[in-house]
Amino acid sequence: MSLLTDVLGEPAVVRDWGAAEWNALLPLARAARLLGRCLALFEERGLTDALPARLLDQLHGARAQTRYVQGQALREWRQVAATLHAADIDVMPLKGVAYLLAGLPPAGWRNLSDVDLLVRPDAVDAAEAALKQAGWRASGELDSYDEHYYRDWMHEVPPLVHARRDMEVDLHHNLAPPVSRVRIDAALLWRAAVTAPGPDGVPLTLPAPTDLLLHNAIHLFMNDELRGGLRDIVDFRDLFVHFSAADTDFATQLVRRAEQLGCARALYYAASAAQRLIGLSLPGDVVAGIRRHAPAPPVDALMRWLIDRLLAPVRPGTAAAAIAERALFVRSHWIRMPPRLLLRHLAHKWLKRRKPPLPATELPG
Amino acid sequence: MPEQDLILDAGPFRIGVRSADRGLLDTLAFFYRDSVCDDGPHVLDYAVRITRPFGVRRYLRPQVRFEIDSLRPFEPHPAENAYPMYEWGLNWCIATSAHHLLMLHAGSVAFGDRALILPGTPGSGKSTLAAALDLHGARLLSDEFGLVRPARGDLLPMPRGIPLKNDSIEAILAFDPAAPLGPTYPKTRKGRVRHLRPSAASVARQHEPAVARWLVFPRYQAGAAESLQALDKADAFRRLAFNSFNYKLLGATAFHAIAAIVRGADCYTFTFSRLERAVERLAELAADAAADPSEPDR
Repeated sequence: MSLLTDVLGEPAVVRDWGAAEWNALLPLARAARLLGRCLALFEERGLTDALPARLLDQLHGARAQTRYVQGQALREWRQVAATLHAADIDVMPLKGVAYLLAGLPPAGWRNLSDVDLLVRPDAVDAAEAALKQAGWRASGELDSYDEHYYRDWMHEVPPLVHARRDMEVDLHHNLAPPVSRVRIDAALLWRAAVTAPGPDGVPLTLPAPTDLLLHNAIHLFMNDELRGGLRDIVDFRDLFVHFSAADTDFATQLVRRAEQLGCARALYYAASAAQRLIGLSLPGDVVAGIRRHAPAPPVDALMRWLIDRLLAPVRPGTAAAAIAERALFVRSHWIRMPPRLLLRHLAHKWLKRRKPPLPATELPG
Repeated sequence: MPEQDLILDAGPFRIGVRSADRGLLDTLAFFYRDSVCDDGPHVLDYAVRITRPFGVRRYLRPQVRFEIDSLRPFEPHPAENAYPMYEWGLNWCIATSAHHLLMLHAGSVAFGDRALILPGTPGSGKSTLAAALDLHGARLLSDEFGLVRPARGDLLPMPRGIPLKNDSIEAILAFDPAAPLGPTYPKTRKGRVRHLRPSAASVARQHEPAVARWLVFPRYQAGAAESLQALDKADAFRRLAFNSFNYKLLGATAFHAIAAIVRGADCYTFTFSRLERAVERLAELAADAAADPSEPDR
């Protein structure tokens, strides 16, 4: 556990902090893109007086950047939604942009790097064509293998970006790759979807609350970008607390829904990590329900070690975090693809490997 | 040599530098002579580390790397350019994170607590003018980062070594042969560079904000006579907004902050070639204001 997870679990710990603790927190929160969440927590709990002035400045700087990116994401969503509606294609926002549009708790602080959307599997080609017709194009260079990888194996088409803007659009037709161990029936997601008035008065179709959380869990433990995973855990906790407050039966529904969609293992990992790392409290019967989906004890212990090293390193860039990242990266691929596909994929990537790309050119907010 | 820590103040920011590079630490001690902090403990804005990558290159053509939060945002640089890389890396850290401030791409100096802002693209001569004004006794706020607090509309000083490029080096030495310059870096991405250390007086007041009083858009033009022309405020607004790093990001906040600056400042364009004359002309602005009984007493 780290000082960052301490704060996310119980913000009042900062009352006793000195320079050493603040200096450890800032890089951790920056790397995890949780500066905004920390600021919101300090404000909610009336703790901003306990913060060194320069730290508060850094948090406000991050918030200004977040607000800008949120505006960009909402604008991109409006453009995409208008284009798809005109083509008579149903679309749902996912993840960050869904939280923003629905005014869910992460909206107050969450950064986004792309706009994630879901369309029905039989409409994905038409949706991509409509967007390309309207000025979006493939973001980045793709060779024929990349094309094949996305189109035949993945649950999204290659990322799109509009010619005159820079917010990436990820067009999904499912929450998990169709070739993976987690096979979700997309029709179930659409059947449970809810309609709500959107911020601009246009009706909005959103995934059911349970499905928003389950997508978060699946994404966290199947995606290869685990570096910012603590933020997903925080989203999970905040959304869980929010939905449980409105519906006391929410936790039970969540477990049942995970079983129905076939992603209860991912729910187990996300919920137990949120419990362990940032103090999510779950009712006893729910804990028991989720625990039924834990892996065998040695695997469970190993996963716990890997997740904690990666998501809650004592400082950015520890060797243990790097090992955990590599191991979880391999694991996410193992789940995403059957062994034969995986072998082909890794062989291809290995032959094609070049110098590693430069890390992000922006300090994360 | 083991790694050492140096804690430096750059205006509103406090930076921890960790490095084992003796030459770099000595150069930092020279430029930050008046703003090195004691051992602390201090809360830091940025904890950076300058390291040498391992490998054969280490011996053939040594390089240095800039790290923040264990990220390495840039390609390594030749080892001899460690100090320019540090300053450039710090600018990058500030530009990508300090959005609680409006960041103008401008040199700025102050006479007392009245600021003269010199916005400009590279090559306009803003760094050279800011350097000469600092040597002339004005208070250096910054050579290229105008840090504005949007809620108050004032500028936060950040006096640091001013990178003089190519012919500017000789121009400053001609202006003041005793100018405290650091080592020459013959090959950087911006050509030949040598930095000027800000005056002790500028650094001593680096925590005192200044209010924009003059907005002057400089343009160096070889052989031209010095010419200070009043500039329409709408044009000044447009040009200042264009010369901000985070105007788009801050949106309405930036709009109002820039409008307030332009409203409160006399706006000019300034063509110049001879540094001595240029500095005299700008110093006259401040002298005229000081002599004007309608000016609020500063």
